[in-house]
Amino acid sequence: MQWFTDFFDRSHALETGSEILSSRGRLAVAIAVVLLAVVAPVINVFEPFWLNILVRMLIFALLALSLDFIFGYAGLLSFGHAAMFGAGGYAAALLMREYTQNLFVVLPASIVVGVIVAAIIGWLSVRAKGIYFAMLTLAFAQMFYVIAFTDLPATILDVDEVTGADDGLVGVAGFELFGEPIHQLAGLDHRLLYFYMTLALVVVSLAAIVRLANSPFGRVLQAIRENEERVEFIGYNVTRYKVIAFSISGGFAGLAGGLYVPFQSVAHPGLLHWEISGELIVMLLLGGLGTLWGPMLGAGLVVLVEDLLGGVASWEIILGGIFIVVVIFAPRGLAGILISIRNDPSQALTNARKTLRNYIEKVKG
Amino acid sequence: MLEVFIRSTFLGLQLGMTFALIAAGLTLIFGMMDVINFAHGALYMLGAYFGTVIAGTFGNYWLALLLAPLFVGLIGAAIEIFSLRPLYGRNPLYHILLTFGFAIAIQGAIVLIFGGQSRRIDVPTVLEGTIQVGPVTYPVYWLFVLIVSTVLIALIWIGIERSNLGILMRASAHDTEMVNALGIDVNKVFTGVFVFGAILAGIAGVLLGGSRSVHPGMGMGIIIEAFVIVVIGGLGSFRGAVYAALLVGLVTAYGSVIAPTLTELFLFAMMAIVLIIKPSGLFGATEAA
Repeated sequence: MQWFTDFFDRSHALETGSEILSSRGRLAVAIAVVLLAVVAPVINVFEPFWLNILVRMLIFALLALSLDFIFGYAGLLSFGHAAMFGAGGYAAALLMREYTQNLFVVLPASIVVGVIVAAIIGWLSVRAKGIYFAMLTLAFAQMFYVIAFTDLPATILDVDEVTGADDGLVGVAGFELFGEPIHQLAGLDHRLLYFYMTLALVVVSLAAIVRLANSPFGRVLQAIRENEERVEFIGYNVTRYKVIAFSISGGFAGLAGGLYVPFQSVAHPGLLHWEISGELIVMLLLGGLGTLWGPMLGAGLVVLVEDLLGGVASWEIILGGIFIVVVIFAPRGLAGILISIRNDPSQALTNARKTLRNYIEKVKG
Repeated sequence: MLEVFIRSTFLGLQLGMTFALIAAGLTLIFGMMDVINFAHGALYMLGAYFGTVIAGTFGNYWLALLLAPLFVGLIGAAIEIFSLRPLYGRNPLYHILLTFGFAIAIQGAIVLIFGGQSRRIDVPTVLEGTIQVGPVTYPVYWLFVLIVSTVLIALIWIGIERSNLGILMRASAHDTEMVNALGIDVNKVFTGVFVFGAILAGIAGVLLGGSRSVHPGMGMGIIIEAFVIVVIGGLGSFRGAVYAALLVGLVTAYGSVIAPTLTELFLFAMMAIVLIIKPSGLFGATEAA
């Protein structure tokens, strides 16, 4: 049960001072959170539409965080994270429709469903490596998509609908506590309350993931990313660590789904589609792999670009274009750019020139 | 019953051979350059759209079949030279991400230029109508597609196995540095392979554009099927891609008769089972990625 005790010990990170998200980073996150919390009521009065975007940004930030935990730290490129996101969402929708709208039942259920789906996909996939792992997760996630899209469970159970096929489940109600909508209990505007709730859950998730990444468990994951064989030789059960890490990540993805569906009040198969998984990877790379805050930033930006330019037919060109430029010129993403500017602002321009010269040389062959 | 079976078999073979054209490019590009090309579906879609434009403007299907793939090849060359080439030597994941960016951007461009409605490439009167094959009536166009793609695949197969160019290609894949040291510009070989793959995807686009609808989602739709094929066949294996494409084509055709809604599920299940039992695919050589 080594891995179990590994969760709860972070002495190593404290000793070496090699913490993920330094004290400076924590301060920046805290400032960002306070700023958001203060600005939100103002936005809600003047531009309520923007609060909707903010909530979506936060939810996708959580999803990006979940993927960065296993891709950035364990090196597992999951191309099927939409499966856990959608499963958490459908779990919330079904629970709320059939049994209860209790916040403290629905959200944990979304997490549990996310963990279960991730455990199944992870257990079946982690033995494959690199590209093959990505393909396997993609295949399993697409299976979930097809199952939801054709409403296979309804056929099997011989009922009218379970997932609602391609229409999905519409009219999902909001969260309740003690039989009352939560915003009434808190005496807040419902949009504002949803925003605060999401913000709080994102902060708690970030704290939990930082804590995990700083524990010996997280160090083992990083070691697996760097050199899997060596970790195996030392005596760790690499497969088990990977499956557990994947399941944990799935739990956070499930939570994101459980937050998303009641907010949009619809669960549809599109949540499970691989384009969500792909977009998620775009967010990660745009932000900067393995930094936790970078992918959250990337997620926010992508949602912003999509929502602002959603009416324009060419938003995909812009998003794709930005992405191509980032991959070529800034492989470490926005986080990488920010870090290099912070480290040495005077060098930033020279570095940019050097990158461009390098690029031209390589194109010439 | 027998009629349905024969008809499905023909349809499956036709689909399989067109899939093989798409998968061949994908697998050759991976085998040589270690690039998983997510933009391959987008190139296939570009072929189909160029086809509708050329066939629509000149009213000539044959011109479309000839020119559209060449234009796709040009775009492929630009993608390879200006974006893939500077990334060689980096983690292969960056290629996935880069080509994913192209897939999104090209799809956006298509919607911007052509709008969202679906189109079709008009086929010449020679290829219209049906033909009697035993007890089954069969569209002439399907037979045409089957023959063209089979001939192309056979030519490529022979080319890879026998020609000097094929040997050079395989050698470059096997030991890039050695081939470079022998005075051959591997960069050019890579560009050539990528353009070749793009042209094949373009041809498949025009061919299928005559029997299936041409719409902005077709690129993202086909890429998953193509991945299933190359993964089942073994990434980088041309032989594997052709066999797996036929298998997938037949499963799709039979599936659409037996249980239309579950066909896709069968395909992914097939891929998952193959990968779990033999991670390198049916004809794959190495497991390393």
